[in-house]
Amino acid sequence: MIRFENVTKVYEQNARPALDSVSLEINRGEFTFLVGASGSGKSTFLRLILKEDKASSGSVYVAGQNVANISSWRVPKLRRGIGVVFQDFRLLPQKNVFANVAFAMQVIGKSRSIIRETVPEVLKTVGLEGKERRMPHELSGGEQQRVAIARAVVNRPGILLADEPTGNLDPITSMGIMGVLDKINQNGTTVVMATHDDDIVNEMRRRVVELKNGKVIRDEAKALYTSMIPVVGESRRLRDASGEELNRAQGAQL
Amino acid sequence: MRLLFILGEIGSGLRRNLSMVISVVLVTFVSLTFVGAAGMLQMQINQMKGYWYDKVQVAVFLCNDGSTAVGCASGPATKEQQANLQAMLESPAVKQYINDFQFESQAEAYTHFKEQFSNSPIVDSVSEDQLPASFRINMKNPEKYQIISETFSSQPGVETVSDQRQVLERIFSWMNGASVAAMGVAVVMIFCAVLLITTTIRLSAFSRRRETGIMRLVGASKTVIQLPFILEGVIAAVVGAVLASVTLWLMAHFWLNGDLSTQFLNTPFISSTQVLVIAPVLIALGAGLAGISSLLTLRRYLKV
Repeated sequence: MIRFENVTKVYEQNARPALDSVSLEINRGEFTFLVGASGSGKSTFLRLILKEDKASSGSVYVAGQNVANISSWRVPKLRRGIGVVFQDFRLLPQKNVFANVAFAMQVIGKSRSIIRETVPEVLKTVGLEGKERRMPHELSGGEQQRVAIARAVVNRPGILLADEPTGNLDPITSMGIMGVLDKINQNGTTVVMATHDDDIVNEMRRRVVELKNGKVIRDEAKALYTSMIPVVGESRRLRDASGEELNRAQGAQL
Repeated sequence: MRLLFILGEIGSGLRRNLSMVISVVLVTFVSLTFVGAAGMLQMQINQMKGYWYDKVQVAVFLCNDGSTAVGCASGPATKEQQANLQAMLESPAVKQYINDFQFESQAEAYTHFKEQFSNSPIVDSVSEDQLPASFRINMKNPEKYQIISETFSSQPGVETVSDQRQVLERIFSWMNGASVAAMGVAVVMIFCAVLLITTTIRLSAFSRRRETGIMRLVGASKTVIQLPFILEGVIAAVVGAVLASVTLWLMAHFWLNGDLSTQFLNTPFISSTQVLVIAPVLIALGAGLAGISSLLTLRRYLKV
């Protein structure tokens, strides 16, 4: 469904590339976590799939098509096949739940009758039945993210990209959101989720792709957030750093 | 559905940016009024040219009692001198340049004078014998005035040869100057209008960046995303153009054809319906300018 072939993305000349010859394939119907520190290239990875950015070298294939060959006026068609969810929900504050989801259908010219039929269905899938008339500010964070997910999948995209969808949510709410994403995945949608949330990754046990400095350093099926194969030097330094961090925090408390 | 959607977007955009939209309307209104005024002046010049050039003639004024010109040393023009001039006008050498000619006697000159200045007290202070008799020559080609002037001005009994066209030319050049000035103001104002439209569209795009961001992500086409913004600018400019057209029409109807035409009975003014010819030009100009400047702005500030 998504294939990266030696993809390198350089934003600024002389700077370290955001992605460094990444080769990766994500199959149809797969659920993949994209983990790694901030700046490791997760967002760039997602942006390249959406053709928001152009790869500096290598090719990105989405649904069998090299995105570099998609002309600018056909990019919208590519994006209709991809749903996107963000950490900050990005709902329209002056529209209610129904209108927010319907918006995604209106702008691509779906008829009113189809909208009236589809939106409640999708809202049911994400667990927001009966909240059609609520305004976004009347909803909890988890509910808002469900609206955003509903909007992302209402046009039945084959791929759902989620950029830290649980980043603003507490653990229990996050698990609820994961339930929704899982359900969407079960229905056949390929899900790629960039995250920092180790609990979720450990709970779900799905494929994990770990990026570091723009390189894939780990690609494991049914994996955990942190590698089970210790990379000695690296992990000790990490542990040291976090230990120091811990001591400082304790010192401050005392 | 999509049409309704786009209309709704335009409506909300216009509402959100109301003050900017009003300023776009006003600036296009003023600038296009100047463009239209320049156009009206040109139309007026053409109208007057067409009207006067048929009538305007070269006049060969004959000497009368008060003449001081060299050719008039022997006093008022005699019958023989007059007959001589007439013979010259009928001679083939001169005839090739003229359509026809008429003799205007002093009595006729006085009648015309009284008509022309009927409202003025000057009529009372002028008597018949103060006005010169003249030959009114209708030229085939008014540019050949020089030939007539050279032929006749040295003849005995001729006071002066005057090309009445020159008087009109002065008026026309004045009107031309006014229309160039109006055009100059219009150009500056149009420049302002373009900048203002650009800013308005930029603001509008900025205030709706959430919507457009989402539209982009869910795969709305470029048209659906950009059209509302472009139409917003175009609608504002067209409203301005319509206001300008109405203003010009009112000016033509109540001022030119009302006040001025009663004051200057002999002047042919353009009619208010003729002004309507300018209106579509103004509207197209306004819409075109707004459309192009919006489009260029969106290219820079609204990524699709």
